[in-house]
Amino acid sequence: MREILAAIFIIAGLIVFLLSVIGVFRFKYVLNRIHAAALGDTLGLVLIVIGVMIMTLNFFAIAKLFLIILFFWLSSPIATHSIAKVEVLTNRNYEERVHEK
Amino acid sequence: MKDKKSFWEHLKAWVDGEEVILNADKYIATRTPKESLNWHKFFSVQNVKENKRNYAVLSVGITALFIGIMLSVVDALPEFGSPYNPSNNEVMVRYLEKGIEETGAVNFVAGMILDYRAFDTFGEANVLFLAVMCVVLLLKKDKKNYSAKEEQENQEDDFFDTNEKRPILQIGAKMLAPMVILYGIYVVLNGHLSPGGGFSGGSIIGAGLILYASAYGQKKMQTFFTFKTFTKICAGGLLTYCACKSYSFFTGANHVGYEIPKGIPGNILSAGFILPLNICVGLIVACTMYGFYALFTKGDI
Repeated sequence: MREILAAIFIIAGLIVFLLSVIGVFRFKYVLNRIHAAALGDTLGLVLIVIGVMIMTLNFFAIAKLFLIILFFWLSSPIATHSIAKVEVLTNRNYEERVHEK
Repeated sequence: MKDKKSFWEHLKAWVDGEEVILNADKYIATRTPKESLNWHKFFSVQNVKENKRNYAVLSVGITALFIGIMLSVVDALPEFGSPYNPSNNEVMVRYLEKGIEETGAVNFVAGMILDYRAFDTFGEANVLFLAVMCVVLLLKKDKKNYSAKEEQENQEDDFFDTNEKRPILQIGAKMLAPMVILYGIYVVLNGHLSPGGGFSGGSIIGAGLILYASAYGQKKMQTFFTFKTFTKICAGGLLTYCACKSYSFFTGANHVGYEIPKGIPGNILSAGFILPLNICVGLIVACTMYGFYALFTKGDI
């Protein structure tokens, strides 16, 4: 039963990652692409880590996995924000920004 | 009288007293220097690039030389896949069976790279040092090697660096950078007990330094990490490594003539020289990582 629950979570996380990868390749403009990439870093990662947590059921392992979620939820939005800021500040090509060329 | 005389005729005239140079200083100043084949100039990059034939000959020659060296080495290697190769019988078994006893490190990899093959790791640390020194040589901004325009660009960059507001990045770096650096220190200090070691821990520390520098700017970083600190840490780490390993190699490389307390395997203070060597390698790698970042973005550490 536990394995099935964990498998559901991990497979859901993998589906989210798949969607994120497809999005990164489908979109052409930077801001759209970081939107797609952030999906995998937040939701996909959390689903997979919850699945692994259910698999282990060991207090210290769960605490370490929780630290992984915390680190990624802190660092990934900050990195995405920095990339977006640099793009907005430096790209003066209006056509590319609005109509994707 | 001939215009051009041979050396022998010159000598003969000089002995006979026929040839006296009156205004010697003037003659020396105005005479045309002798055209001699200058080997240094002949093999210079400019000359080689100008003459296509030289270039082709040299490149083919150098390539053939290296191919010859490599092929001779390959010829001397033992046969591939043979069950009697030394890698298949003695070495692996000995490392696995006597690794803990001989090196005191629970982590076999640390025992291998920092005890059995310490010279190899020393070479790797030297390669890192050499790479960062080459980048310093090429990219470091000096008073002599950059123009007024670059100076102005640099000042504009500094202006934006100090006046740009990055609250999100700064708060994130304030929370994350100490954690990242602390984790890197943990990985370095536990190199002989758990997976990790000098190289991986050093690169984590370097990543933390880069995060802090990108959030707070180069000026704030220079309050505690200047070029002087960088040089001292790099050279000091390499020299410490060299001294430790020289001691153990000169007193009998096979753990014969010296006794460094190995401690109980599993304790933090154990495994002889592996802990200090890990710290040296970690410091060098961290400095190298941050040095590359700083030199490529700003041209100054």
